[in-house]
Amino acid sequence: MIAYLPLMLRAAGTTLWLSWLAMLIGAFGGTLLALVHMQRIAPFRWLAIAYMEFFRSVPILIVMFFAYYGVPLVLGLDLSPFAAATLALALHASATMSEVVRAGIGSVGHGQWEAAQAAGFTWLQTMRHIIAPQALRVVLPPSIGVFITTLKESSLASIIGYIELTRTGLLVRDSTGGGFAPLLALGVLYFLINYAISQIGAALERRFQTGSRIETVGAMA
Amino acid sequence: MNYTFTLRTIYPYLGELWQAAAVTLWLSSLAIVLSIALGAGIAVLRRSRLRLLRVLGAVYVEIMRNTPLLVILYVVYFAAPAIGIRLSSFVAALLGLTLNSAGYMAEILRAGLIAVAPGQFEAAQSQGMTGWQVFRHVVFPQVFRTIYAPLGNQVIAVILASSLASAVAVEDVASWMQTVGSTSFRFFETFVIAAIVYLVLCQTVNIARLLIGRWLFRQGATR
Amino acid sequence: MSEILALDGVVKRFGARTILDGISMKVSAGEIVCFVGPSGTGKSTLLRCVNGLEPIQGGSISFEGAPVLAQTASIRAVRRRVGMIFQHFNLYPHLTALENVMLAPVVVHGEARAAVEARARGLFDTVRLSHRINAYPAQMSGGEQQRVAIARALCTNPHLLMFDEPTSALDPETVGDVLGVMRDLAREGRTMLVVTHEIRFAAEVGTRMVFMDQGRIVEEGDPRQMVASASTERARQFLGAINH
Ligand SMILES: Nc1ncnc2c1ncn2[C@@H]1O[C@H](COP(=O)(O)OP(=O)(O)OP(=O)(O)O)[C@@H](O)[C@H]1O
Ligand SMILES: [Mg+2]
Repeated sequence: MIAYLPLMLRAAGTTLWLSWLAMLIGAFGGTLLALVHMQRIAPFRWLAIAYMEFFRSVPILIVMFFAYYGVPLVLGLDLSPFAAATLALALHASATMSEVVRAGIGSVGHGQWEAAQAAGFTWLQTMRHIIAPQALRVVLPPSIGVFITTLKESSLASIIGYIELTRTGLLVRDSTGGGFAPLLALGVLYFLINYAISQIGAALERRFQTGSRIETVGAMA
Repeated sequence: MNYTFTLRTIYPYLGELWQAAAVTLWLSSLAIVLSIALGAGIAVLRRSRLRLLRVLGAVYVEIMRNTPLLVILYVVYFAAPAIGIRLSSFVAALLGLTLNSAGYMAEILRAGLIAVAPGQFEAAQSQGMTGWQVFRHVVFPQVFRTIYAPLGNQVIAVILASSLASAVAVEDVASWMQTVGSTSFRFFETFVIAAIVYLVLCQTVNIARLLIGRWLFRQGATR
Repeated sequence: MSEILALDGVVKRFGARTILDGISMKVSAGEIVCFVGPSGTGKSTLLRCVNGLEPIQGGSISFEGAPVLAQTASIRAVRRRVGMIFQHFNLYPHLTALENVMLAPVVVHGEARAAVEARARGLFDTVRLSHRINAYPAQMSGGEQQRVAIARALCTNPHLLMFDEPTSALDPETVGDVLGVMRDLAREGRTMLVVTHEIRFAAEVGTRMVFMDQGRIVEEGDPRQMVASASTERARQFLGAINH
């Protein structure tokens, strides 16, 4: 078992890379979605809401299978397990992130908009120089929670055959005669990674003195 | 690009879909009820006078919040036989889901308890209420109001998470999708149908909780 | 007059700190005892010991002839006959004003709802809040909330009322409303223990003043006389400072 530890640590790196990439895309997508949601044009808003409600109501496992088996059939475009997993995780993360970003932008008082407008800032300039910097401190701590969720969800990539941490643990289990020590090691590794990240989140929260981690509740995965 | 969507090949499997949906619903309901009970126990533990018990409760919550459900399911499913207990897939999945969800439930309930001001306990006690009366008439209604929304979120989270039970061979909706998809080769259709089933389940809960909430908290009481 | 409360050498400690250091006193029916003294000297703690919210480490307390034993089932019998009004009101936020007042008589005393409601409505007249009967605490001002809290305490027909700085958390303009209600209660001959910094009120309404410092009773006597000229240096200093 000990002999396999380096292998598992490397696999943990793969899991981190996958989750990080998905989170990055999800954060961009979520921000876009939040901006669309905030527009006055109703159909845009409805579209954004439908998107969020859809991903809030369909298990990530289904989304992942869809990305891997469904997308090639429909679009005639083969996705590798890695690409499919990244896509599914990013789609899911973007739905949650759009709410986080929206709450962040909403937390900046209306007076800030008015002050900027009065000073002759365009919408984009206001966003870039006034709103975003203030929203960021509200957005950052819960984003850490979304990242942890994404990291946990990335374990499902093992089901569509991507060899990340969970798959590696199962393979190690097979080649060491089926004990459950590899599974326990798996749990410990995930725990250590996520706990470390959550401590960063808690530190950010203390630093920015923003709300509680309640935001991330319901992020069971 | 010219994929034709057809449900004809799926028809024969729809009977199994109902069964699968029933399994999903039953598994989630049991897990929700059991994890509320276990979560309540842990929330109480975290308010204990004994430091050891408080730490124990906190460690439990951290482990459950930071470990993937899939790994927890595998550990339960494969560990039980190793220590000489034979668990059916369903029981293993139920156990894994419950243990995991309890970590979140404990936090929700704890936040609800914290939100009740200490003065509330004192006022109720000084009116001569018994422990049960304090809980029933003063603490519970206030806790319920604070936890109502997050509890609804958690119910939905458990329904979604129950799809992972298919990984330990429970024949739920997600598992129906995988088997029927690979036998009929109509992957796309099975995904759509499975997605709709989950969508309907979750949105039913979502809308029901909004309506019930509006009715329950209809008076002007803000807090 | 009959004695209803007796404290004998009461000692209260939090860990190694002694908060009440041998408090002895007797209270007869109809007395209005006002407790004054610097912050942190144990006035609140003393009231909380009387209805068993805090257990004591030495001495004894008896209420209407029976010992007050915190953390036993018997304490509830005492609490049913003692009404308490808190600095921060502690109204039940999920109940209306009327429901707040009716809860304990119905649930704890097992009285019929109709009878309780009639009495409760009468009490809202007493505290001059009949128009706010269906409001929730969050919709009321501090002064209104405190008067609801008084009605809540009165509705169980208590033999003793305890007030812990009932006006300290109020806006100045609503203090008078609450003190007015308390004055009415005094006139009715209620037995009251009042912790307060309202020296003028204590002098006017109180039948006895107790000056406490560092867990001890330093001086007690007629309120007017103590305010005019307390016999101990410590009390004179404190009352002088607080009375401008
Ligand atoms: N639960 C507790 N645990 C530890 N110490 C306490 C507790 N409650 C009160 N104390 C301490 O007991 C002392 C007396 O408190 P108490 O509230 O009785 O004072 P007080 O005379 O009512 O003061 P104030 O005028 O500020 O209300 C204070 O020093 C306080 O810090
Ligand atoms: Mg006090």
